[in-house]
Amino acid sequence: MSDELLVVRCQLGEREAFTELVQGWHPKVERYVGRMLGAPDDDVVQEIWLAVVKGLPRLRHPDRFAPWFFTVARRAVMNRLREAYTRPEPEPIDDVQGDDAAEGVVHRETLAVALAAIPAREREVLLLFYLEDLPLEACAQICAVPVGTVKSRLNRARRLLRQELVRKGYEA
Amino acid sequence: MTPEEVLSRLEAPLSLRKRIAYLTVALAGLTASALIGLLWATEPDLPLRTEVAFAVLVTIGLCWAAFGGWAVTRRTPLFARDRVIAAWLGAGAWLTLTIGASAITILRHEFEPAVAGIVLTLGVLAAVNLRAARRARAALTRRKTELSPSAGER
Repeated sequence: MSDELLVVRCQLGEREAFTELVQGWHPKVERYVGRMLGAPDDDVVQEIWLAVVKGLPRLRHPDRFAPWFFTVARRAVMNRLREAYTRPEPEPIDDVQGDDAAEGVVHRETLAVALAAIPAREREVLLLFYLEDLPLEACAQICAVPVGTVKSRLNRARRLLRQELVRKGYEA
Repeated sequence: MTPEEVLSRLEAPLSLRKRIAYLTVALAGLTASALIGLLWATEPDLPLRTEVAFAVLVTIGLCWAAFGGWAVTRRTPLFARDRVIAAWLGAGAWLTLTIGASAITILRHEFEPAVAGIVLTLGVLAAVNLRAARRARAALTRRKTELSPSAGER
């Protein structure tokens, strides 16, 4: 069943649809929260689900559930990460080319470990773009930044990830 | 945390019974306050003690209305089906108010244009709200039918 149909059924008030929605999306929430925070956090996960249930009746475009869902999740995660965000963001690096070689070689699990060492802003776009397979526009919407900023964060994130993997002894 | 644990923690906002209960409390508080207020406004020369009693009752009713309103907007959201139920409950509350207002008017043998205006306005609001809720639900139901796998096979 498509997410849109599930969301429409939830908006109608069908209890079984909520069960399916939670069962289908819970692993994604846990993965996102765990990787963004570096460790599982049940309180944040619960906070996200509560916000999702409360916000569902007002969701006007059920076909765009995924970006909306991650926007809600991001808000909860960012509240938890606020301290990390008080650090000034480095200047965007627009001229760095994407290092596709690293993407092809690195296994997802290895990636997950290395992700923990990357700053939250960069880790976030990597998670959304590569692990959740969201388009750049959706990432931009979730992060509330222009698409260009997402691209530059992705570039920087790939570079940092590559440095991290090299530091750990992997060949880039 | 498992999905089942998540669902058990979401029990309160997902419970239809709780949503309807909060809504009923809100409407009952509002209707009772309105009727007592109406009685208070249309009854001349009331003793001070009675006026104080009326004020206390109106306040209690408004407090329940505020609590119910807060609960359905902040704690237990109204989904499409609930909105239709809520709109019918609102229409019922309006009917109760109308009967009460009519009884007060008949007992006093005096037509109150202001009261009639308020009752009519609330009636229009209740009807518009019911129509909007039914349309919203119908739109979602149509979309659900379009998206259902069986619709694609046809």
